[in-house]
Amino acid sequence: MTSTLSRTEAPATPPEETRPRRGRSDLTFRQRLSRFDVKASPYLYISPFFLTFGVVGLFPLVYTLVVSLYDWQLLQGQGEFVGLGNFVEVLGDRFFWNSIFNTFSIFLLSSIPQIIVALVIAAVLDQNIKAKTFWRMSVLLPYVVAPVAVALIFSSMFGEESGLVNNLLGLVGIDPIQWKHDTLASHIAIATMVNWRWTGYNALILLAAMQAIPRDLYESAALDGAGAVRRFFSITIPSIRPTLIFVIITATIGGLQIFAEPKLFDVTSAGGIGGYDRQFQTTVLYLWEMAFFRQNFGEAAAIAWLLFLLIVGIGMINFLLSRRIASAETRALKKRTAKRLGEHQDRASQGLVGEGAGVEDRGNA
Amino acid sequence: MTYSRRTRAAAAIAGAASIALLASGCSAAASGSGSGEDGQIELTVTTFGTMGFDDLYKQYEDENPNIKITANNIDTGGNARTDAFTKLAAGSGLSDVVAIEEGWLGSIMEVSDQFVDLRDFGIEDRKGDWVDWKYEQATDPDGRVIGYGTDIGPEGLCYNSAAFAAAGLPTDRAQVAELLGGEDATWERYFEVGKQYHDATGKAWYDHSGFVWNAMVNQLDEGYYTADGELNVEGNAELEERFGWLADGAESGLSAAQTAWDWNGGKSFVDGTFATFVCPGWMLGVVKGQIEAGGGDAATGWDFADVFPGGAANWGGSFLSVPTSSKHQEEAAALASWLTEPEQQSAAFAVAGPFPSTLEAQEQLASEGTADEFFNGAPTGQILAARAEGVKAQFKGPDDSVIQENVFGPALQALDRGEADGSAAWQQAIDLLGELVEQ
Repeated sequence: MTSTLSRTEAPATPPEETRPRRGRSDLTFRQRLSRFDVKASPYLYISPFFLTFGVVGLFPLVYTLVVSLYDWQLLQGQGEFVGLGNFVEVLGDRFFWNSIFNTFSIFLLSSIPQIIVALVIAAVLDQNIKAKTFWRMSVLLPYVVAPVAVALIFSSMFGEESGLVNNLLGLVGIDPIQWKHDTLASHIAIATMVNWRWTGYNALILLAAMQAIPRDLYESAALDGAGAVRRFFSITIPSIRPTLIFVIITATIGGLQIFAEPKLFDVTSAGGIGGYDRQFQTTVLYLWEMAFFRQNFGEAAAIAWLLFLLIVGIGMINFLLSRRIASAETRALKKRTAKRLGEHQDRASQGLVGEGAGVEDRGNA
Repeated sequence: MTYSRRTRAAAAIAGAASIALLASGCSAAASGSGSGEDGQIELTVTTFGTMGFDDLYKQYEDENPNIKITANNIDTGGNARTDAFTKLAAGSGLSDVVAIEEGWLGSIMEVSDQFVDLRDFGIEDRKGDWVDWKYEQATDPDGRVIGYGTDIGPEGLCYNSAAFAAAGLPTDRAQVAELLGGEDATWERYFEVGKQYHDATGKAWYDHSGFVWNAMVNQLDEGYYTADGELNVEGNAELEERFGWLADGAESGLSAAQTAWDWNGGKSFVDGTFATFVCPGWMLGVVKGQIEAGGGDAATGWDFADVFPGGAANWGGSFLSVPTSSKHQEEAAALASWLTEPEQQSAAFAVAGPFPSTLEAQEQLASEGTADEFFNGAPTGQILAARAEGVKAQFKGPDDSVIQENVFGPALQALDRGEADGSAAWQQAIDLLGELVEQ
């Protein structure tokens, strides 16, 4: 009722402002409560996330940084302040760089095939196939198995003397591969575990995004003569871009933090060195060795921070790259459309529009 | 408008963070034990592997109605190490009674003040119960005693009698002991017989160099550290000589270059890949498990001989300690003391096989001489009792396990796989030592 009045006076401004200034004290308790409710409630509703994040995310992060600045032994605890000494030590340690190499090698061997295969599986599941739910559930099944169990099973399969994989290779006349001693072979074996577990999961996420693409886009593209491959690259991929970026970034974070698989792949390495000569010691495994076996907590904290920075860096690069790729697609599309339009206009000006153009389009498809 | 919303969000995050800081500051929770109503005391116990305590807990509860025991057993010593270290580092969470393994006792000794001096609870009256070196191991440099000894790991030699027969070597365990030199068995003789075996069969003599090396180092008066705690690897002639024997052995094909704790899924124990294996008491259970996993049984032919090259050696063994964080130190010490009494040690041996560290229990096992059918009827308890004679306590430094696993592990593997000769592998170990261990 006040609003009608105020609107006549000053229709452009919000009603509260234009009311005669009676001051805050004139508001009743209920009014103040409701005002507080409107202003504060949203923060209250999102606070559980931030509180939890603060406790399990932010605090450990900051505390790790504090630890990394001290000479800190696992059992004896805090020692002298050494500034960036631990970081210098770690950066000058050949085993750290070895672990970075291993991590990247395993990461590339797992993430790239994983996302490509996941895209293909998602595209296939997106078609009209029979027993949809069955296929979708099957794809997710490996994800349900605990990573430790996966590691143990694959560790046995990749056994050097009588593992399943070497036996199968033997059938086709390939010499046994040193899965646990050869650097590249061990990386492939570990990447296989990761791929087996995560491909289906990523496929389902991508599938969910694909399902949200309006079907009429495909229909009209088909009518325009675009084939299945063309529709996949020109409609599907650009449409699921945000999801694809999400999948790539989570795969990056997961891939760079890989631990259980290399830890369990070699039963002997009580010291957590990942293969007798550190062939597959990833950075997190190196961190574990440093913290819990060599008991140098300060350097371990420094490794943790370097890894964190690395993941943030790689995540940014990934984000930019995947955005570029996707927008390059759109740019190319726009270019092509413009070109077509130009040709079309040219032809129109030459009086060639009509049946001929239609025939040409079909021919292209 | 947007600006102010953003600052408010930032303020909210900052607020959340400070609450988080507060929350973590208050999280120094009490340890898991507590007194219930009616004066009941709950004691928590953390053990690992197969210590054979389960029935004993029940017995103790029956005899002491005011005690309730909550036991937690961790699968391996390595994981128990991580568990105990993490909790020590965090300053909370340790049980009232914690089992500590000899291999990482050196690190624990660095923080021995975190554990109760058991002399306050009368461990000195029981000093004569144990073999003297066991008690000595649990004593820190200040003379505080922080652990009740449970089991020890005297080493004998496991051998495959079928493999010995195939090489024309004697198969009877007394004759095998004699063949290797009996009381005066040396490593030289061990490698010599190994070469005979290799010449006759073309097969390996031992599974991999790591375990043999471990035995060699453990039986020295001083291992990786001198008795007063100085690192003692570089320029250590005794170690270098033994390393050379292993290099020579690997070159002569005596090592099967096996992956320890895997042994090709146990199959290597069954198919005659190697003929001998160093066996501390607790390893007998491991060997049995491996043979069974590899599809073998008692007929596979493994036996246990009362001989060990280079003299008496010990590998492993544990202690029960009471951390100072315990709220019921007296009751915890009483329980730990009871669990390590001769009678209880005998009972645990019968159930799970850890070899007793008390003299009385050892004498009992020796006199019983019970035959172990799985090892061709060898009186394992009796043999182990004999193998325990003459073992000396060796000082274990803080980085003993790092040196064993991460310094010599890679070097010995390189030897086994023929990727390095003796001097190159030794140099590799020395380099690793410089990089991994602060000197």
